Amino acid sequence: MPTSTITASGSTSFIIKKKELGVSTFSSTSFNIIPKKRCSKKVVSVMTPTQSQRPPSTTGSVKTALTMTEKILARASERSALVPGENVWVNVDVLMTHDVCGPGTIGIFKKEFGENAKVWDREKIVIIPDHYIFTSDERANRNVDILRDFCGEQDIKYFYDIKDLGDFRANPDYKGVCHVALAQEGHCRPGEVLLGTDSHTCNAGAFGQFASGIGNTDAGFVMGAGKLLLKVPPTLRFVMDGEMPSYLLAKDLILQIIGEISVAGATYKSMEFVGSTVESLSKLSYIFAYMSTTVFHAKMEERMTLCNMVVEAGGKNGVVPADSNDYISTLRFLSEYRFDVSKLEPLVAKPHSPDNRALARECKDVKIDRVYIGSCTGGKTEDFFAVAKLFQASGKKVKVPTFIVPATQKVWMDIYSIPVPGSGGKTCSQIFEEAGCDTPASPSCGACLGGPRDTYARMNEPQASHIMSMNCLFSVCVSTTNRNFPGRMGHKEGQIYLASPYTAAASALTGFVTDPREFLQ
Amino acid sequence: MATTSASVFNPALALNNYSKEQLHVAFTSNLRMSTSCFTKFQLKHFSSSLIPSQSTRIPICAATSPTSPSETTATTFHGLCYVLGNNIDTDQIIPAEYLTLVPSKPDEYRKLGSFALIGLPSTYETRFIESGEVQSKYSIVIGGENFGCGSSREHAPVALGAAGVKAVVAESYARIFFRNSVATGEVYPLESEGRLCDECSTGDVVTVELAKSLLINHTTGKEYKLKPIGDAGPVIDAGGIFAYARKTGMIPSAAPS
Repeated sequence: MPTSTITASGSTSFIIKKKELGVSTFSSTSFNIIPKKRCSKKVVSVMTPTQSQRPPSTTGSVKTALTMTEKILARASERSALVPGENVWVNVDVLMTHDVCGPGTIGIFKKEFGENAKVWDREKIVIIPDHYIFTSDERANRNVDILRDFCGEQDIKYFYDIKDLGDFRANPDYKGVCHVALAQEGHCRPGEVLLGTDSHTCNAGAFGQFASGIGNTDAGFVMGAGKLLLKVPPTLRFVMDGEMPSYLLAKDLILQIIGEISVAGATYKSMEFVGSTVESLSKLSYIFAYMSTTVFHAKMEERMTLCNMVVEAGGKNGVVPADSNDYISTLRFLSEYRFDVSKLEPLVAKPHSPDNRALARECKDVKIDRVYIGSCTGGKTEDFFAVAKLFQASGKKVKVPTFIVPATQKVWMDIYSIPVPGSGGKTCSQIFEEAGCDTPASPSCGACLGGPRDTYARMNEPQASHIMSMNCLFSVCVSTTNRNFPGRMGHKEGQIYLASPYTAAASALTGFVTDPREFLQ
Repeated sequence: MATTSASVFNPALALNNYSKEQLHVAFTSNLRMSTSCFTKFQLKHFSSSLIPSQSTRIPICAATSPTSPSETTATTFHGLCYVLGNNIDTDQIIPAEYLTLVPSKPDEYRKLGSFALIGLPSTYETRFIESGEVQSKYSIVIGGENFGCGSSREHAPVALGAAGVKAVVAESYARIFFRNSVATGEVYPLESEGRLCDECSTGDVVTVELAKSLLINHTTGKEYKLKPIGDAGPVIDAGGIFAYARKTGMIPSAAPS
């Protein structure tokens, strides 16, 4: 569990069972940040503490209010205070890499630290093959072999291996998409620093930690040294208030934000999500419920969706404070954006940029030829529940090929085992089958980023053969993934509309980009 | 930086029509170009050839390559430019299907270079790398805003460097691409003060003078201010963060074996 505990110094009381120590909580008032030795990894339960409202000045322990990101980086750099723009050496709690960047990272580690060098901490490196798994591409297969050899040689504790590509279920260690696997396997812990060789590492900010993507060379450095020089980012605050309408999902919120600030609007900056809407998704207890692995917690997954796409606005990290912050108004934010969520409508990002925002209903004449539900952004259990809920509400069949790619093995099992509320006990898989979707595929990153030619559901042709008669110039996909740059899902001329799982499901039923309110109201 | 000398390319010698261009460009700019393009060029080699004592180690070329302290710093790049627009994401620089290539393996490093910018849509009519070639004739890439956004793949600056690109000049960069460029030392990510992608055309002959933070377009005869590269410059000069850290004594001068 966490490598540090963060305890309140004020009079706020906590209920933490000593035996289960290893997790404590953020208080609403003040922090003393005390690095401690590792505690044993075990599932714990913690009550959200009752909080008395106290301004920081009364405790004497906080001189300058820090943002969530600053607090975490202060702890990790063993400093009591820091300001945005400072470069600090940060101790890394977890380094994650996968089959695409792992071999290059390992190559750099070996060259720079020596062929016989040992990694800085065999328990803090998490290696998750997930990108190019179910492919006959020999180099892709070799890259997983490189990871396996390295993990064996270094005795890496957390390596989620796959050997039998014919049936993923024959590989109990195999998880799937790294960002979702990190969360499900308990590697995302509040207050910690997680770096990963993948831009969507920012996903883990949902758990109240600093999480950011880095390149192979930086990762090679961390692998040997356990630390990295990082610049403290200034924080942009996004206040989302109002009741979330039933037809919206977190994907709509983040598409709204990216559309507002552009794909470069948060470059080098931290994005902090607060407000009553987010708070309804943000109780510390959710984090631990999620990490207790048997519990599926929808609200955590929505927070992950929000933080996942921070990088699509150029952000360095995204964070949802682990609990509401009473003195938030005194914090230094670069700028603040406010949204009344109750007034938002379902959105899409049109080709070829995630900030090319439009209302789903404005695109109702856009004919599509496929729908893709998957990836770290849109392939979590909650995402498939949303799709199933809409299919169930409509009672209709899909009109275009609809691809289901669960992010992880656990998500796959959820699809096949958890009854969808209000469906009379049917599982997602049953509802998908009735609606005429493709059989859920093996969990991996899949066609979100194209990948090798034989990747399931990849957009290989400029236009799908079955729609040539429909006068479509190009293949058009509505996707719950995160990017729609040219060629992202395979063919350069492919048109990708990024959308929420509701909007993707509604579009599958009509064959056009469709506002989900047509089926949910 | 690219690690092969083959990428040192002087279009003044290779272009038949260059003498025609000379008639139209300012004499001073031309003079500046011709005096600088040979004298300050830094030749780099695969790291394996520089460290014979470590012959058992797999040579890694996309990792930072140590350079000897006596080498002069590259301060001027001269060549043809390739002009791109806004938000060139790393999928366009190196599409995901080529990410099975591991940059730290020399032969795969070269292959990565041969696929640089292959993901550009067909609206870019001029190919960055001619079919059958493994390197580009364009050694300077000019872009708009938010260059290198999207995926964190280090393969992106590596592919550009391996293709022979010395410097990218853009209005602004995505964070991870900028950092990866510096960490690997593959290319200089330079920021322009204005929007040079509207001022320059693919195939223009340009010179970048790092010390003066200047880009000279010899084809149009215009000069443009660049933002200073700052502390990142010496890191890229050295060949990346590891090489820089060794050169400056931050870490031991040779990797322990």
